[in-house]
Amino acid sequence: MKGIDFTSTRFWGALILLTLCLYAFAAPILSSQDSATQDLSSILRLPDSTRWLGTDHFGRDMWVRLADALQLSLLMAALCVLTSALIGVTLGILAATGPAWADRVLDGMTTVILALPGLVLVLIFAAILPGSFWMLYVAISLVQWIEYFRVTRAITRQVARSPAVQSSRLMGFGALYLVRRHYWPAIAPQLTTIAAFGAANAILMMASLGFVYVGIQPPLAELGLMIVEHFPYYADAPWLLAQPLIALALLVLSCHLLAGRTAR
Amino acid sequence: MLKPLLSAGVVAVLALAGTAHAEPTPQNTVKIQAAFEFSSLDPSSSGYVYTRMQILETLLNVDDRGALLPGLAEAWSVEDGGKAWQLTLREGVLFHDGTPLNAQIAAAELNRAAAKPSALQGVPISAIVATDARTLRIELSEPYRPLGAVLAHYSTALLAPSAYDANQQVTALIGTGPFAVHEITVPHKLVVERFDAYWGRTAGIEYASYLTGHRAEARVLQARSGQADIVFGLDPASVPMLKRLPNLDIVRSDLPRSLALKLNAGHPYLADARAREALSLAINRTGIATAILHAPEAASDQLLPSYMSDWHLPNRKAQFSPDRATELLAELGWRKNSERWLERDGKTFELNLITYADRPELTSVATAIQDQWKQLGVKLNVSITNSSAIPAGHSDGSLEVALIARNYGVIADPLGVLIKDFGSERGGDWGSMDWANAQVRSDLTRLVAENDPGLYRRQAQRIAEAIYTERPLIPIAYYVQQTSVNSRLTGFRFDPYERSYFLNELSWR
Amino acid sequence: MMLRDLLIKRLLQLLAVAWGVGTLTYILMRALPGDMAYRIAASRYGIDGVDSNAAAMVREELGLDQSGWSAYWQWLGDLMQWNLGNSLVSGLPVVDTLWHMLGHSLLLALTGMLIAALIAIPLGLASAYWGGWLNRLTLTLSTAMHALPVFVIGLLAVVLFALELAWLPVAGFGSAAHLVLPALTLALSLAAISNRVVHTEAQRVFSAPFFEFAQIKGLSPWQAFLRHGVRNISVPVVAFFGVQLITVIEGVVMIESLFSWPGIGHGLAHAIFARDIPLIQGAALTMGVLFVVLNTLVDLACHALDPRAGDPA
Repeated sequence: MKGIDFTSTRFWGALILLTLCLYAFAAPILSSQDSATQDLSSILRLPDSTRWLGTDHFGRDMWVRLADALQLSLLMAALCVLTSALIGVTLGILAATGPAWADRVLDGMTTVILALPGLVLVLIFAAILPGSFWMLYVAISLVQWIEYFRVTRAITRQVARSPAVQSSRLMGFGALYLVRRHYWPAIAPQLTTIAAFGAANAILMMASLGFVYVGIQPPLAELGLMIVEHFPYYADAPWLLAQPLIALALLVLSCHLLAGRTAR
Repeated sequence: MLKPLLSAGVVAVLALAGTAHAEPTPQNTVKIQAAFEFSSLDPSSSGYVYTRMQILETLLNVDDRGALLPGLAEAWSVEDGGKAWQLTLREGVLFHDGTPLNAQIAAAELNRAAAKPSALQGVPISAIVATDARTLRIELSEPYRPLGAVLAHYSTALLAPSAYDANQQVTALIGTGPFAVHEITVPHKLVVERFDAYWGRTAGIEYASYLTGHRAEARVLQARSGQADIVFGLDPASVPMLKRLPNLDIVRSDLPRSLALKLNAGHPYLADARAREALSLAINRTGIATAILHAPEAASDQLLPSYMSDWHLPNRKAQFSPDRATELLAELGWRKNSERWLERDGKTFELNLITYADRPELTSVATAIQDQWKQLGVKLNVSITNSSAIPAGHSDGSLEVALIARNYGVIADPLGVLIKDFGSERGGDWGSMDWANAQVRSDLTRLVAENDPGLYRRQAQRIAEAIYTERPLIPIAYYVQQTSVNSRLTGFRFDPYERSYFLNELSWR
Repeated sequence: MMLRDLLIKRLLQLLAVAWGVGTLTYILMRALPGDMAYRIAASRYGIDGVDSNAAAMVREELGLDQSGWSAYWQWLGDLMQWNLGNSLVSGLPVVDTLWHMLGHSLLLALTGMLIAALIAIPLGLASAYWGGWLNRLTLTLSTAMHALPVFVIGLLAVVLFALELAWLPVAGFGSAAHLVLPALTLALSLAAISNRVVHTEAQRVFSAPFFEFAQIKGLSPWQAFLRHGVRNISVPVVAFFGVQLITVIEGVVMIESLFSWPGIGHGLAHAIFARDIPLIQGAALTMGVLFVVLNTLVDLACHALDPRAGDPA
């Protein structure tokens, strides 16, 4: 067991992410304000002792609103990572060890889905039920499972040919044992990296859709939508635009750092 | 310092080169940005862009109070107790291809327009004929007062015969206006050039371009950076910032367009007029007009603006009284539950509101109303869709509340629009919905044939009063159009009926 | 032989993709909420003109009452003859509209990639060769840039170059100056990652035994680099450009929307809004086909650079 490496990028990624999570979930408890309550007589206020991050163009409290938006992004990222990892890994192992037709069918499916850039696919899905968090979740997961699938399949194939697996098989161990004993340990270390990038991508996609007005709808706080909404005020209230920008950048950065490798 | 000198020099050289226009350059082109696309060449669908850019013209025009003015017809008379309109065409009008305008062409154009979804739909026309080369006669089966305003609507603008192909499709925009098409790329780019043989005031500028800018933020930036000379439909949020810039004039114009909530009066929660009144009283119109529209005086609880005086009730002031609203709803049996929502017979007061993103302020106003009704205990779910969801929701009955920006000056006489909106039993796509008021319906129908101004006003006031007290629609504010004009231009004028940009009156400073 | 197999595989993929994408967008579009006739009428006649009357006319004219299946088969049949139909909104042939948009998108994408290469390759090589503070600086910048969504980079570029400095137009098209900001935005978001890839590969080559040997042989570092380095570095870098194509296309969608650049991405987003089914199908299909074709080009480039390499897929 080695100690915590304070110089590693992963440490810093985890630290930033933890701080953001802490803020997102604790901030609404600390403040008596509500994220949707407007006060049209005090719009675009600078931060003060009651409104710690100022107010937006409806006079809503930014401290709580930003926390809400972060919660939403974190929730979307967590759900997408879990779902797509589960589907991708399961199907990946199935494709690598199952019958040849299954492999071919799954391969065909990924080819077709991959032919359409992910964002375009998510855009079309989002158009079916505009403003729906769950539709975005389904669409993003549908795009993201493929990455897990491809990596899992490649690793599992390699492992399946190894002497250790061959002998386990000869000894009559079941599929579940093979997965637990051989495949999973080989796949698991790769998953952290994919998951961290996947989380960053899910967050970015939701924000991008908010930016082209097909994402989450008001009054729900969402980072991408906040950026477009605050942009007209950039000259009058630059701090207002800066808040969602910085939050989004930090969130994505923390995921990238957590992935351990730089930019790839 | 050198740049203006140089460009002035370039312009001078080009002017010497002869009467044929030089190619459009940033110096000789007025660049216009607006939100609206032109999806086809057909005037019945995108004619508003072509009349605004002054390529096409209509038989009649209206002034900024809605009174009729001569257009391509220099005189008109109403005969036969309102059942026939006779129009005399102006002499010496040429289409851009050199064809002279005559009454046969005009009659053929109007007949064509009547067969399309144009403003002529619903007008009781029995015949449109040319009685001689300059006289056009429109015969009606019954009198129709707003016909003059219909003839000023873009969908009745005149094209040259050569604009059509063998299948009667429009293939070129050949009109009579002070500008002719130089280049057109459907759906977002249009460049027009001065038409020197125009019958009226020829333009002072050589070229004008029209570009569609979908995003409100992008349009603001275009204005700010001087990339566009005239930008229409500015987001009110950015107006204070733009006003501080020395190179821009921000022109504020009142439009005969109102922001209003369309209510389903057949809905169990909204059927009682007291419920609708309570919802209206709970809206802080001044707050919305000040903080969101940046135009405090635009707040209003009447549908039509004061300058349409027949239809505007004098001496009323928009009321904001959440307490009175709570009382009214309590009379109807609504009580607050533990979650602070109103409840009656175990059901919470929950409504769905739809609105559309084409006009930037609609979303913001919807968000504000959502919160103001929440204070009252009414739960409002806002969804932003396409504008088409409103007529669709009206016709299948699924619509509950819609926030709309309704143009009562689409034809300059509001009567035409009001008949569409309130004149039939189920109401209108953009008007009342299942509002049972037979009196208003019969009054409206009678007004169409009313020629006495005093009687007209009396009945109009009665209709306005009924709409005001029973609130089939809840007006929020008048629509204020903010336009930025670069200070290198002078002579800009805004048409509240949005029929023309008056480009031929512009000149370089 | 191997190259031919590769091309055949890509061709089959292309067909599968055309069919798959077409079907998928078709099903999705049929499931779109709201009455299609109303939406088309709204686009055609404007907000003030859409009403039940206009919708009824649209419905009749376009035969929207046709059943889903027969419309689908008809569309597939037309597709086989490369007839994508007419836009429901403008009535113009979709193919013409697509060509017009494709030109703009390609111009943006290629310019963006070119600028990206001009930024990423020298930066990656320099940071690998000199290392030290230069490397740390590019790493920090790349990491920061990579954490920003492309539309945020675009917004920041607009604020800086168009508004504060007023050097460049904010949005629109028609002149070379209009291309600069969108292309730069795309290039920055691409270069953020690819300069690190160039860096990694260059470092690998610079420390490889054959490279040191070349210098011992008497070649200057520059000569050694040209003779032995370029090819070894370019194979993985070109392959990586293939991986990045998705970033290019997704970036194009966002950037076109931000800068009102009349390309396919902007067209697609707008067509979804207006429910212009033939145009959505056409645009999505073009994006899918473009994606496969560009991938094939990357395959060919890798093959040309290093014929020893096996099937890159």
